[in-house]
Amino acid sequence: MALASTEALSFTYPGGGEPVLRDVSVSIEAGEAVALLGPSGSGKSTLLRALAGLVPHFHGGRFEGRVCVGGRDTRRHRPADLAGTVATLFQDPEDQLVFSQVDREVAFGLENVGTPPAEIGRRTLGALASAGAAHLSGRRLEEVSGGELQRVCLAAALALDPELLLLDEPSSQLDPESADVLERGLDTAGGRAVVVAEQRPQRILGLVDRVIFVEGGRVLLDAPVDAARAWLAAHRPAYLFSHTLDIPITGSDPVTSVCRFVHTSFAYRPEAPVLEDECLELRRGEVAVLTGPNGSGKTTVAKLAAGLLSPSEGVVERQGRAAYLAQDPGRYLITERAVDEVALGAGGDRRRARDALAQVGLHGFEERHPHDLSSGERERLALACVLVTEPDLLVLDEPTRGLDPERRDEIVALLRAEAARRATLVVTNDVVFADAVADRRIERRRPRKLEPALA
Amino acid sequence: MSPGPSAVLLAAVGAAALLAHRTISVAVIAAILLGLCLTAPRRRRWPYLLGALISAGAVFVITPFVETIGSHPIWNGPIVPVLGSIDITREEIAAATYQALRLASVTLAFAAYALLVDQDGLLASTRFGRRSALAVALGTRLLPTLERDASGMIEALRGRGVAVSGVRGHARLLSPLLAGSLERGVNLAEAMEARGFGRQGATRAPRPPWTVLDWLAVAAAPLLVAVGAVWL
Repeated sequence: MALASTEALSFTYPGGGEPVLRDVSVSIEAGEAVALLGPSGSGKSTLLRALAGLVPHFHGGRFEGRVCVGGRDTRRHRPADLAGTVATLFQDPEDQLVFSQVDREVAFGLENVGTPPAEIGRRTLGALASAGAAHLSGRRLEEVSGGELQRVCLAAALALDPELLLLDEPSSQLDPESADVLERGLDTAGGRAVVVAEQRPQRILGLVDRVIFVEGGRVLLDAPVDAARAWLAAHRPAYLFSHTLDIPITGSDPVTSVCRFVHTSFAYRPEAPVLEDECLELRRGEVAVLTGPNGSGKTTVAKLAAGLLSPSEGVVERQGRAAYLAQDPGRYLITERAVDEVALGAGGDRRRARDALAQVGLHGFEERHPHDLSSGERERLALACVLVTEPDLLVLDEPTRGLDPERRDEIVALLRAEAARRATLVVTNDVVFADAVADRRIERRRPRKLEPALA
Repeated sequence: MSPGPSAVLLAAVGAAALLAHRTISVAVIAAILLGLCLTAPRRRRWPYLLGALISAGAVFVITPFVETIGSHPIWNGPIVPVLGSIDITREEIAAATYQALRLASVTLAFAAYALLVDQDGLLASTRFGRRSALAVALGTRLLPTLERDASGMIEALRGRGVAVSGVRGHARLLSPLLAGSLERGVNLAEAMEARGFGRQGATRAPRPPWTVLDWLAVAAAPLLVAVGAVWL
């Protein structure tokens, strides 16, 4: 018998017109690692929530069909009762935190499922070690980076020793050096089954046994990984490789400097400098990509370039207008309609706002409330908000978070097509995106120095 | 000191300030609590101190206009329907100072609790009403979270060339901040349910036992309240 299965599952969120899942029948066997792929808003997260029992218990809505996990029908068992059998790592680690200290956060689930008190400490430390986060024991969560936070949340899920582990975009905040987190999460030793929804499939296809591809709420593919690769190559090639590597930039003036860091230093606290006497030049007509490990100060460089921070020593010179797209911009949308949100940066000009929305593939979303959009759609809305300002320097901090590969390629094409008009600095951990969009790579390493990697 | 006794002691100090009769006594308590709050990191303490200042300042300003006590006028204002004569007397100023200091003491005691007491430890040591304790602990985190979200929002708008200035500019952020905190709350509730919160038979990780200082603090708390009510 399958460890988990859905039978003819259809689901519509309360107030939502269209079903998010339509007639989905899948089964997950013990010891199996399954990748769940598909475009933004295709129903991947909802399917994970159904397997955790959160749909329909937590969300309400219209639920048809049947979901069984560990022999239990999720309609008759609440998610809290399934905890321990199932554990979920949600998309945004910050929204999962109950406590402010690492060990207590990991122990929370263990306490809830009734683990004997004498075992809690040992299992907490064991889970932290399994997630590669043993060094974080005793730390406060506000002191750890986004990637480390992801490890803590993974530890909290692993601590329960679940039979079924559900991972919702676990790599969205991870730098390439933290790829081991994925491997740790996808470890099926001991018969654990893992289902991972992912927008960066290149990272996980080598780690899973099977691929389920969802689109429009329907399962289009459910096949072993080799067969899935062939299907993806034929039908969804963007999931395997980027097609936009060779988009030339025309009409550019690559010698015009738009932004220069001149012996720049910066520190949030005097005892911990982030930049020390560093130089960097960003030129009109090129897309520079800044990469490096979590916590190495990439965002600080981006904010300095955009003028949102002032250097403590040295200067940052800018020519013209700068625009900055923050990490997780969906949190910072303030109006009630997408078109109004974009128009804010265009002096209220709705025509320009509509054009900018169309540019990022959001034509038809003008009247939608920003908070009703999926995370990928919010990311594109936020991109439209900065593009509409027609900046001379465009600074994008992790612009592909939540974007599916096809949308990511559209953003690459857009940035390349627009690159001649401005200097573009992109901060990203998405190596495929970086390869596709970059004219120049800037690698940020520890110790914290900017080093040109490619000319 | 353990978080439980710390919270009890702070509550006792706040209660003593409320029960004290002399303005000077309340002022001393407020000053001690202010000093305590100033030991917290600057970045975290300012919203709490600003809140305490604004609320106490508002009480100080409004009280003389709504009280009608004293016979030593400092300022004779107009007669307003319903409120009567808007005079300010020396006694009303004294009463306003007393009330403002009492409110400041209570808000500063809460600020010290929010800034300096280990909320996780307090929650972990709660032997009953764990759900209520969790709600309080999460509620205490709301203010710094909102402050961080507001900073992020202002920065994101600046990044789009939209300046946020003046009361109206900042007021425009209130609704999205509220919406964001509600969304965050829903996400957290979902994550907690998925981690088994509310299930029967929950256990608790072992906690370190109280020290002598902890027991002394708990014993001192009722004494402080009594002293506030009788002698201060």
